[in-house]
Formats: sequence, structure tokens, C-alpha cells
Amino acid sequence: MLSLPEIKRLPAPIGLPRLRWPFSIGETIAVASLTLVVILSIVGPLLSPYSPIIPSGAQFLAPGSPGHLLGTDNLGMDIATRLMVGARTSLFAAVVTTACTATLGLIVGTIAGFVGGWLDTILMRITDIFLAFPGPIVAMAISAALGASLSSSIAGIAIVWWPLYARIARGEVRRTATSMHVEAARMSGSRGIPLVLRHILPATLPTVAITASLDIGGVIAVLSALSFIGLGTPAPAPELGLMASTGMQYLLSSWWIPVLPGLCVGVLALLCNYTGDGLRGALRSRGV
Amino acid sequence: MTPQVLDVREMSISYGSRVPALLAVSGVSFSVESGQCLGVVGESGSGKSTTGLAIQGLLTRDPSVSATGSLTIAGTELNPVIERGWEGIRGRTVTTVFQDPMSSLDPTMTIGRMLTFIAGTKAESLRWLEEVEIRDPAAVFRSYPHQLSGGMRQRVMIALALARRPALLIADEPTTALDVSVQAQILKLLRREQEALGCGIVFVTHDLGVAKAMCDDVVVMRNGSIVERGSSARVFGTPESEYARRLMESRLTMATDRHRPVGLPEATVVNAMVESLNEGRAETATTTVDAVTAEWNARSLLWSDFAPADVGEVSVPPGASPGAAPIAALEFTDVTKSYPTGGGISRRKTVLSGVSLCVEKRESVALVGESGSGKSTILRIAAGLESASGGSVHRSDVDADAVQVIFQDAGASLTPWLTVGQILTERVRNSKRGGRTSARDAAELVGLAMDRVSLDRALLASKPGQLSGGQRQRVAIARAIVIPPTILLCDEPTSALDVSIASTVLNLLNLLRHALGISVLFVTHDLAAARVISDRILVISDGQIIESVPSENVSSTVSSDYARRLLDAVLA
Repeated sequence: MLSLPEIKRLPAPIGLPRLRWPFSIGETIAVASLTLVVILSIVGPLLSPYSPIIPSGAQFLAPGSPGHLLGTDNLGMDIATRLMVGARTSLFAAVVTTACTATLGLIVGTIAGFVGGWLDTILMRITDIFLAFPGPIVAMAISAALGASLSSSIAGIAIVWWPLYARIARGEVRRTATSMHVEAARMSGSRGIPLVLRHILPATLPTVAITASLDIGGVIAVLSALSFIGLGTPAPAPELGLMASTGMQYLLSSWWIPVLPGLCVGVLALLCNYTGDGLRGALRSRGV
Repeated sequence: MTPQVLDVREMSISYGSRVPALLAVSGVSFSVESGQCLGVVGESGSGKSTTGLAIQGLLTRDPSVSATGSLTIAGTELNPVIERGWEGIRGRTVTTVFQDPMSSLDPTMTIGRMLTFIAGTKAESLRWLEEVEIRDPAAVFRSYPHQLSGGMRQRVMIALALARRPALLIADEPTTALDVSVQAQILKLLRREQEALGCGIVFVTHDLGVAKAMCDDVVVMRNGSIVERGSSARVFGTPESEYARRLMESRLTMATDRHRPVGLPEATVVNAMVESLNEGRAETATTTVDAVTAEWNARSLLWSDFAPADVGEVSVPPGASPGAAPIAALEFTDVTKSYPTGGGISRRKTVLSGVSLCVEKRESVALVGESGSGKSTILRIAAGLESASGGSVHRSDVDADAVQVIFQDAGASLTPWLTVGQILTERVRNSKRGGRTSARDAAELVGLAMDRVSLDRALLASKPGQLSGGQRQRVAIARAIVIPPTILLCDEPTSALDVSIASTVLNLLNLLRHALGISVLFVTHDLAAARVISDRILVISDGQIIESVPSENVSSTVSSDYARRLLDAVLA
């Protein structure tokens, strides 16, 4: 090093991550609301005096009725409790579905992108075939074939959704694989799976994670849609799509029975989207 | 008296809201008159770029920047961090030639559209293209930036900057990205245009040679302050400040003494070591290493400090015994390389046409050429990163540990999310020699490698992004020598570094290659650096090696025109 003792070195701005709140005001509200909803949907049902599947009062009570904040449905079940349990199921199912699809897609895409050659061609053509089918319809067909239940809806969505992640992961892996640090890692003797896990995959994870967080909202909507058309858990399960569909016949007389669960799906999806957006911005600003 | 176009008084600029403020520029004063070229010279972190941005009015968008002092451009008082007043100045009175013309030209517009936008008419645009010595103005007028070479793009950039007839031109490292021979042409062009238009130029650069060739006056900056100013002949001839003097010394020229550490004298022990190494060169390998051991034992910089049994035979590579015919560490015989190009099956672009070269054991060979000459391709083939289309490549050691590469951009060659320790340990683990060592021995090897490249072991916990450019290059070198290879391939390892850092990296490489008995193939465009690091220089042009000269007396032995031109570019 240079021996220049007469010059004071300026303090180097390294090592200290800049502690700045990474979200905008709108995103902060979304993140806070989503956190609130998650807490509510987990704690709420435990605190509620009512069961979500046993009638607990008079039928068709309007929102604001004493003892039933959001009223009761056609069978006299407490809507607030059912919404909280339904939201919990929806969120949980959406997270599980997205995690499954992202993992599956990541594995397929990484193998295709890293190995290349004929394996890449075969895997990507399979991906293309899946992408060529209209997603929601195939998901409907699969979950109908597997029998109406939550797990068959999850399977149906996972099967049509993974190709998207495979495409993204493959692109990222191919881009990273040609970068200088991977070349240098090869020169220092890294090969095969360790090379992928240590030097390539960490670069692709943020992109996949961002896509996944943006997808959760969409998956919530699709899951609810499947349950709306009767392909989810059968009644009287507290599921948002199902609640909206069975409540449709009371739309004119007791609007809150179908509208509240529908609104709940919309708000959940929106909050998830905003949060995903915020997450993307936060990760981008950290240079990922 | 010529009118003053730029006057900077006591300008200070700080970034961020840190208290006390981190001053990027502190109390800088200078002025430029019409027809004058002022060089702002400094290394990275000196504040020269911030100064350059401030006088272009390019700091007004960043709310975290604050400034004090005064800035007057062509009689208008301006604040470098407040937008008001800049509209009529920026891009009109003050124009800029940036370092990288590719990223500052709009890729979606033809040169003609961009230029007509400024010059007004097509005829005027074509005249400007002629003015900047573009041979076929009509063709360039219709081209997009990506269709032009780097030198051509920079000429277009200059035309764009001058077509406004600015009072002040800021040239921000305009030739750094260009080949040396093109660099000389661009400088000449800038100089001529300046005389024709009579504008003032602020020439921001880290390259002392360029500043010397180009500027009337220079200011030397360090850590945000001006440490020396004066006419360029005076500053470069008899620098007064200690820093400027040392900066001049660390600059490599064809007259640099190759037998001592270049640049600033480092710790005396390094000097002593290199001297002893050079004296011991005629002796057998063992003697040299013994001599080195004696010098360096205290600093545990030698492999013999580490029980060699644990890592196999790493202390002295075999084959260096006197008398025995030397086996080449790397040998290329008639190697060719061509790539298919887009147009049709049979169209191929030839990069290497019949390259034969040989790097003996313990020899250091520099491969010198300009961009596109095929020098990097040779290195990549030698490294096994690419395969040759024809001919044969032979290495004395075929195992995977025998070849290591140091890349130009050390930052990009280190995996950003791994720590220095992880990167080095991985190299040990991946090697045949080090793979079976215990975790403690591996850590010891890594620590020794850090000592060898003079890096603090505390940095093992840092990630590459937290290190300076020089430190990153040292980490890359540490990775390459933690398990010493037979041959080390260096791809312009110093061209992205500051002069003083570059010379210490060259010293380090020289030191290590002698101490560890490594052969080196050093690819560079810089003859002066090549001379210092190598025993022999190969000049390459258009995929062919056209000359091989001993490094000892390059200037007197080169014969080809091409090599002469490279030489002239260094001397300029």
C-alpha cells in the first residue's frame, strides 16, 4: 500500500447499511394493513365467541347488530368470524400455492438454464405446452377431476402456474451463468450443483421472490374463483369464494351476505399486490 | 485580456446528511479563460468527478447534496445544487464529452437526428461530422451509435458537444475507454477544435500522461482539495507537493526502472525482497526461495512456513533445475479461433489466425495489443474458458489447479454475496491440493494468502462491495495464489485501477511470481505496464503475433510499425 502518512483518510462509507424505511406512504399503509389483517385472521377466530360453522344467532341479522358486528348469514352463522377464518384459509392457501409453484418453477428453470442443450430444449418446450393452455380453465379441469377440495384447487393452480417461474428462473440463471464472477468461480474449481447453489442461485432468488410476492394477490383471487364455482371445500366451510356464491341468492334482500366476502377477497388481493410492489421497490433499491 | 468563462471560488460540496458532513470537495478555487485548457487531475475519491459534475450543473437533482462557495460561468452566477439559472447554461454554454459515449448517446436515434437537433440543418450536421475528422460523414449520419466504433462514437460526442458553440467544454475522462492510438487522435482533435472555437476546456482525468499532453494548466486534487496547481509543464516537470511528486513517480513510462518496485517505494522490506530476488535470479530455484525465506520469514509470507506436507508439493514447482531442458508452462501451436456471425452458415469471423506462443516455466510474458486484437481470446483459450477452433494448446501441468486467472474487473469477478473468506476458502476446498486439508489448515492457508497480498485478515469477513478497487484486485490475486498455480493468466488486472494502486498491484504480482515461481501471461494494452511485469513482450494485432521483443530494451528493439505506434502512444 502507499505510505502516505501525512494525509488523513476520510472515513470510508462502508459496512454500514443505510437504515432507511424502504416503502412509500401508500406501500407503508398496505404493509401495515396486511399485517393487521394477518394478525386479525389468526387471533380473531380464537377470540371470537362464535364458531364459524355453527349457527349462533338469528338468521339474516344486518351488520351492526348487537353481538354480531357484521351480521349473520342465511343459517345464522356469524359473518365476522367466518370472514376471519376465510381470510386465514385464503392467505395460507395462497402462500402455499405460490411457494409450491415458485419452487417447482425455480428447479425446472435452473436446470434448464444451467445445463442447457437438449435438456433445456425439452424442459422449455414442456413449459411452452403448459403456457399454451388457458390457465384458469386447466386449473378448473384439474381441480374438478381431483374432486372439490382446497388441496385439489391448490394442485390445479400449481400445475398451471409454475411455467411462468421456470421461464423467469431460466432467464436469470442464463444471464448470471455468463457473468464474470461465475466464470471466475469456475476457474477456481467450482462445478455443478455447488456452483449453482453458491454463485448463481442467490442472484435469481430476488427476482423469483418479487414475482412470487406479486403473485400472491392473484392466487388469492383465483382460489376464491375456484371455490366460487364450487371447486373448493364444500359448504359450510368458511371460504370466501364459497360464501359469496352461496350468498348470491340473498343479494337483493340481505346484500351483506355475498358482498362482504367478495369485498374481503378484493381487499386481500389488493393489499398483497401493494405489499409485493413495495417489496420489489425495496429490493431494487438495495441493488438486487 | 481574454474573458473568463469559468470561475470557481471556495467551492465545497458534501453528500448525505451525515454530521460532520462528508466533504467530497472542500474549498476548491480555480478559473478558466477562453482558449485555455485546465486539467483537473486526481485519483478516485479525489473529488475531481464531483467537481466536474458541479460545474456542469448535474448535481441539482440530488437533494442530499449541499454546496457552499461561488460558481460563475460566462458571467452568470450559479449554485451547483439549485436548478434555477441552469436552464440556459447546461448543454448550451457548458457542454460535455463523457467517458462512455455508448451510454451517453441515445441508442434509438441515428447520429444524424441527434446532431440535426443541435446543429439545425443537415448540411451543418455533415459539416460538423467532417470537422471531427469522420471519413464518411454521410454514412455516419445515417448510423445508430451501436454501429460505430468507440473512437467514432467519441468523435460524434465531440461534434455534439461543439455544435452548440459552447463557451466552456467539460471533458470528463473522454479517452479513458479508448485504445491508446485512438486516444492520441482524439486529444489532437479536441485541441484543434478548441483553437478553432476558442472555448475553455476543463479536462477531468486520472491519466497524468493525457493531462500532460492536453492541458495548459493543471490542478492536482486529493481528498477533495487542490494540492498543487500551475502550468502543466511546471507541475509535471518539477512538482512541488509531496503528493504530486509521488503521483508522477508512480506513473509508468518506458523509462521506468524494471528492476525495482515501480512507483512509490513501499515498505523497505519489499524493496529488499525484490532486490534479493533479482540478484538470485541466475541461481537455482531453491537458492532464490531460500533467500526470500530469509528475508520474509518474519512476515510469514512464504509457502515454506506452511507445512508443505499438508498441501502437497507447493513450495517450489519442479522443473526449474539448471541444465534440464525447460518444459514450457504453456504452449500454443498454430492456434486459430473463429466465431460464426449472424449472416449465413458459412460466415465466420476470424479472431485468431495461427497464433504460436510459448511461456516457459517461471517466465513472464506480456501480450500487448489494442482492443479487438484477439489478446483476450488467447487468454481465455489458455484458461480453458473457450476452446480453439484449430491448432493445439499444450500445458505442462494438466490438472485443474495449474491455471488461475486474474480478471480486469476484480469487482465483477468476485461473487458479490460471498465474503472474502468464503471466496478464498472455496478456492482451497475446490483444489486437489487443498481439498483434503482440515478446516483449520484451510483457514491458515487463506490467512497466509491474505498476508501475501498485504491485506488485513480482518477483511476476510467483508463482502467485495465493501472493499476499494485496489483491495478487490488483491482479493482476486489472493484467490489465484492461495493454491499456487503453474501459470497465472492476467487480463489487464491494472487498467481499471488508479496509477498508484496499479503500480502496487504490479509490484505485488512481480513479487509473487518470483516468490512462488509462477509463470505469468499478462494481457494488456499498456506497453509501459507490460515492460515492468514481463521478461518478454509479444505484440499482437488482428489475431496474429507480429513481434516478440525482450522487455529489457523494448524501445530500441521493436521493428514493426504497429508496435512503434503503440510505443509512441505511451511516450506521448
